Amino acid sequence: APAPETGPGAARPPEPSVLPFLVCPLSKRPLRYEAATQELVNEELGIAYPVVDGIPTMLPEAARKVPARPAEQH
Amino acid sequence: ALARPARGLAAHGETHFGFQTVSEEEKGEKVYQVFESVARKYDVMNDSMSLGIHRVWKDVLLHKMNPSPGTLLLDVAGGTGDIAFRFINYVRSVRERQLRRKLKHHQNLSWQEIADSYQEEAIKPLGDSQVVVCDINTEMLKVGRQKAEHLGYSEGLSWVVGNAEELPFGDEKFDVYTVAFGIRNVTHIDLALQEAYRVLKPGGRFLCLEFSQVTNPVLSRLYDLYSFQIIPVLGEIIAGDWKSYQYLVESIRRFPPQEEFKEMIEDAGFLKVDYQNLTSGIVAIHSGFKL
Repeated sequence: APAPETGPGAARPPEPSVLPFLVCPLSKRPLRYEAATQELVNEELGIAYPVVDGIPTMLPEAARKVPARPAEQH
Repeated sequence: ALARPARGLAAHGETHFGFQTVSEEEKGEKVYQVFESVARKYDVMNDSMSLGIHRVWKDVLLHKMNPSPGTLLLDVAGGTGDIAFRFINYVRSVRERQLRRKLKHHQNLSWQEIADSYQEEAIKPLGDSQVVVCDINTEMLKVGRQKAEHLGYSEGLSWVVGNAEELPFGDEKFDVYTVAFGIRNVTHIDLALQEAYRVLKPGGRFLCLEFSQVTNPVLSRLYDLYSFQIIPVLGEIIAGDWKSYQYLVESIRRFPPQEEFKEMIEDAGFLKVDYQNLTSGIVAIHSGFKL
């Protein structure tokens, strides 16, 4: 099914092969990819980097604050 | 380890934007605007300004790199993809040669074995090689990605918006780090070099292709004349943007000469650092290893 148009460009998923390389540019810690919002989330710092038109935009200026969450218990 | 404090908290000094003096904050913005403005005409301008010679410089960089299949490359400030595409072509042809050689040496192969070899090439034409193109400018990356689509590149290639001074990659992830005609635009070159060191695996290689100091005094005068009289005019005619090309020409003059840049690379921890002049020093390739 086509992705809903939420922004100026059509939503495009990021290239999966790049995700394992990416970390938060500030803390260098791992990120969680949230497909629903097309964001790469640093849960510890409570910030999320957008994936714009399939391109992860890993700039602190582009990030938005999200509620910080402790790591899930397994 | 704690992350470095965010750039906003660091002391703001002054720096150069071409021949102007600007605050460090301003420089980043102004550089961004330059590349946003030239993005769509970037390749055309490169061909016009250098009379196509930039293609040779980039080919030399790849030959120096001599990547084998399976290499993980990070190309920083790689915007429109010139280095990335050359890397893909290079490892693809190395791999083809490897597979052909393998077939030649096994004369008594069954049809099944031969078919398997061809399938191996079809499934993994790059042999697990990967290139990540990182640029601070979304417009440049979009041009690069469009080019990739037109030229049929898809496997092993990805695009990330990121800052060379603050890379969004984990430690020790890449075999090779390249920056071609990008590092002179970075506000804090030393930080970019430190980040390059961090993301390279032990044994990894740093390669920088950048404008440098012309060694020959006669050629130097001609080069200055060409740079300041012809290039901005070309910029205006072809891209409708004199100022951006004026900046580009000035930024070349501001960049440290070969020996000084070599020392900066050594300061970041790289060993066996050396450089190779091309076209009488109009450009130089600096190389260093994380050992």
